[in-house]
Amino acid sequence: MDEFEEILQDFLIEAFELIEQLDQDLVELETRPDDLDLLNRIFRVAHTIKGASSFLNFDVLTHLTHHMENLLNMARHGDLVIDANVMDVILESIDLMKALLVRIRDHGEDSGLDVSECVARLDVVANGESAPAPIEIETPIIQEPIVSKVDEEEPDYANMSDAQVEAEIERLLAQKQAEAIAKRAGTAVASTEVAEPDYANMSDAQVEAEIERLLLEKQSQDAAKRAQKSQNTAPEPAPSAPAVVSVPAPQPKTEVAPVAKVAPSAPVARRSEPKEEGESKGGGVEQTIRVDVKRLDHLMNLIGELVLGKNRLIKINDDVEERYEGEAFLEELNQVVSIVSLVTTDLQIAVMKTRMLPIGKVFNKFPRMIRDLSRELNKKIELEIAGEDTELDKSIVEEIGDPLVHIIRNSCDHGIEIGEVRMASGKSEVGTIQLKAYHEGNHIVIQIIDDGKGLDANMLKQKSIEKGIISEKEADAMSEKEAFGLIFRPGFSTAAQVTSVSGRGVGMDVVKTNIEKLNGMIDIDSEVGHGTSMKLKIPLTLAIIQALLVGVQEEYYAIPLASVLETVRISKDDIYTVENRSVMRLRDEVLSLVHIGDIFEVERVFDSSEHAYVVVLGLAESKIGLIVDTLIGQEEIVIKSLGEYLKGIEGIAGATIRGDGGVTLIVDVAALMQMAKSVKSTIGSESGDAKKLGVKNSASDYCVMIVDDSKTDRTIMRKSLEPLGVTLVEAVDGVEALNILKQGDHYFDAMLIDIEMPRMDGYTLASEIKKYNKYKNLPLIAVTSRAGKADRMRGVESGMIEYITKPYSPEYLMNVVKRNIKFNEGL
Amino acid sequence: MSEKLQQIINRQNQALVSDDKKVDEVIQLVGFIVGEEEFSIPILSIQEIIKPIGWTRVPQIPSYILGVFNLRGSVIPLIDLRARFGLPLQKHTDETRFIVMKNGDDVAGFVIDRLTEAIRMPKRDIGPAPDTISESETMIDGVGKQADRIVTILKVHKLLERNF
Repeated sequence: MDEFEEILQDFLIEAFELIEQLDQDLVELETRPDDLDLLNRIFRVAHTIKGASSFLNFDVLTHLTHHMENLLNMARHGDLVIDANVMDVILESIDLMKALLVRIRDHGEDSGLDVSECVARLDVVANGESAPAPIEIETPIIQEPIVSKVDEEEPDYANMSDAQVEAEIERLLAQKQAEAIAKRAGTAVASTEVAEPDYANMSDAQVEAEIERLLLEKQSQDAAKRAQKSQNTAPEPAPSAPAVVSVPAPQPKTEVAPVAKVAPSAPVARRSEPKEEGESKGGGVEQTIRVDVKRLDHLMNLIGELVLGKNRLIKINDDVEERYEGEAFLEELNQVVSIVSLVTTDLQIAVMKTRMLPIGKVFNKFPRMIRDLSRELNKKIELEIAGEDTELDKSIVEEIGDPLVHIIRNSCDHGIEIGEVRMASGKSEVGTIQLKAYHEGNHIVIQIIDDGKGLDANMLKQKSIEKGIISEKEADAMSEKEAFGLIFRPGFSTAAQVTSVSGRGVGMDVVKTNIEKLNGMIDIDSEVGHGTSMKLKIPLTLAIIQALLVGVQEEYYAIPLASVLETVRISKDDIYTVENRSVMRLRDEVLSLVHIGDIFEVERVFDSSEHAYVVVLGLAESKIGLIVDTLIGQEEIVIKSLGEYLKGIEGIAGATIRGDGGVTLIVDVAALMQMAKSVKSTIGSESGDAKKLGVKNSASDYCVMIVDDSKTDRTIMRKSLEPLGVTLVEAVDGVEALNILKQGDHYFDAMLIDIEMPRMDGYTLASEIKKYNKYKNLPLIAVTSRAGKADRMRGVESGMIEYITKPYSPEYLMNVVKRNIKFNEGL
Repeated sequence: MSEKLQQIINRQNQALVSDDKKVDEVIQLVGFIVGEEEFSIPILSIQEIIKPIGWTRVPQIPSYILGVFNLRGSVIPLIDLRARFGLPLQKHTDETRFIVMKNGDDVAGFVIDRLTEAIRMPKRDIGPAPDTISESETMIDGVGKQADRIVTILKVHKLLERNF
């Protein structure tokens, strides 16, 4: 059973690979119907699948492929001219074949799909154009054909009876096994002459081969006998094969003749095989092995660990360099570190490359799609593909297919005009869609260019307003590029009529989501009447990325560099407010701004610095400016998941481990852009979280700090507040106050601060305190004899919320404090 | 056939029962203090116990989750048991520890006030959780009685369950 599974898996892999090539060949065939090579290739696919499926007992699939093969064979022999109608039937049958294969893959059986109609049509086409009775009944000769057909290049499968076909399959199987043995024995098939083997003179390996041969002989005889019976009794493939593997390769002169005798057609296969390969891969032995993707993933994970280790090492190296400057061993350490980091980078690239697939894998299905679409839409469309060899990560290849399908469908349906319209506007009747892929730095760019009618920004805006996607006001403020971006909005569809191809307003929305998922960007360029160009820019890999590290207060975040367009340093004056939103002018664009602290609930304090950094983020076609406090730099980071417990946190794509061993969160740019739309404004919403620190059960749970350098003043304040029963802590200057605060032994509800103090004055103290997030809501009350307006202003600037001028009455002070600590509210 | 099977099963069951009688099943627990109370969890659900290290705050999560920390290359959530149990927060002391618990693939670190000891307790000394707490909600697996004290045994899977 396991063996069967294994064969089945191999069959499926092979079949899907064949089919991929098939689509392209078929479309090509339509343009060059008399290309015999092409026909042969297509025929062989049908034949291979038929052979294997009958061996595996997939009767429906066998039935279908048999008829396909029949038709193709006729074409091959020139009995049938392939025109569009014939092609339609063939394509339909191939689709059905694909569906069947998918069923087999998913359910392990091929029942449940009706092929009879398709088969009937295949037969009609076959009969309509040529002599009837495609299957001639020959007297089945069971054992003879195997020998008799040895010297035929390609047995005429179509004219064989079922039994013969089965016998043929048996033969091919035996042949395959024979080949395998021949290969394992490490010999080339030199002669086809039959010689009675001389057992005495044989090496161990030869004896093994001989045993194999005898076994095979027996098997093939059995097989031939069984050929007429049910396929359930299909022979097991060379059960002793593994034993042979361990045999060391013998000298090349050994006679493989016996093998040739058992399966006399082996040379035939040998002749035809290179031909097959020569056609598809340009000759030579294929230098590839199949590797389970899981193993590659594991390898990639290990590399990830290594990259983290490398980052760590670099950091330590820097520290050591600083501490032991000028020491001789530093030189050596430096060298080792740079070698390790170099090798790690190379290793990472090498492993990444093993996961790379040519994008042609995706592109291959488009010629067929375009063909179908152009027939369906009654337009003439040509597809030009370039750069199909461009490679990118397997996981991305898998994701990119859907978006491309949607874009190309869209281009065919909405972009390219019908023939007459094109002629009228002076273009060639045949519309062209170009599909290009190329590398650009760490990105791959996929470009889809059509020479259709182009996008009309005004029309797009109009439509969006009608559908309520945007308001008129928004529309007016939109640039042309932004208007193009409207096609990605959910619910948008420009086709006046919904066709089966597109127009349901789902497709382009999917494109955007999928591209965003890959951290990619979409750029649309269009000119009315001349066509549209869509540029998808996608990072090459997903696991290890370049990131920009930014700081906000005491926290750091990593932003995927792929989404960072630029960073700018702006002054506070450059930020404008429009409808409660911060915006800035970036060259000729207006960029909406959001503070990273607002997104990630970083409790931001009064920022004294006059300047801010704006990281301009671009994703798909939208842009936003993210205000951060500091820019740390660029670093290579390994994306780690936050695990099951913390998954799905909005705005966080994962975490990474930094060189210092700390964890840094990675920003999910797509989610961040969404969040930016609904983020609460920076001001307001300040009260409310003050009480999160514990419950106040008694007056002594309230804690107030008194900061004054004069003992007398402190005593006066203490005396004034003592009646409240609150806990009082005293500090003689700003430095001490800050230290007490940092120790965190008390949770302060308010601070009374004198302005003029030695070491650190009240203003400085206040601004220092406000630098900490947790003290953002701590009420700071200035108690001072400075009563000037300028002093008050400075107080407010540094974060004081009340200003009490000395002298004051004890009751006044008490009331101010009571109000600020919300005394009695919770009791 | 089925009779034979039944016999074997019966015999096995008997063997199990008698085993139970012979050696009283003992479970090993690790005790720790959070707030005023002593809690414990089965020793096998502990991956390791470490001294406090730095962690990174994560936005938009309940306040009892302090954030995430790096445990030799893995990013692991850190949960403050004081906050989880609704106790007032306290500064970390020299005795504060992170207990890294695991249940299958779920791993998380928990901040506790201090460790007490490894406890070996016969199963018969463990009673059920107090009735006043509803069965599905409780984090308490049972209450272990010892000569001079009682120890609350926590459900590790419940602690590791995401509940927001």
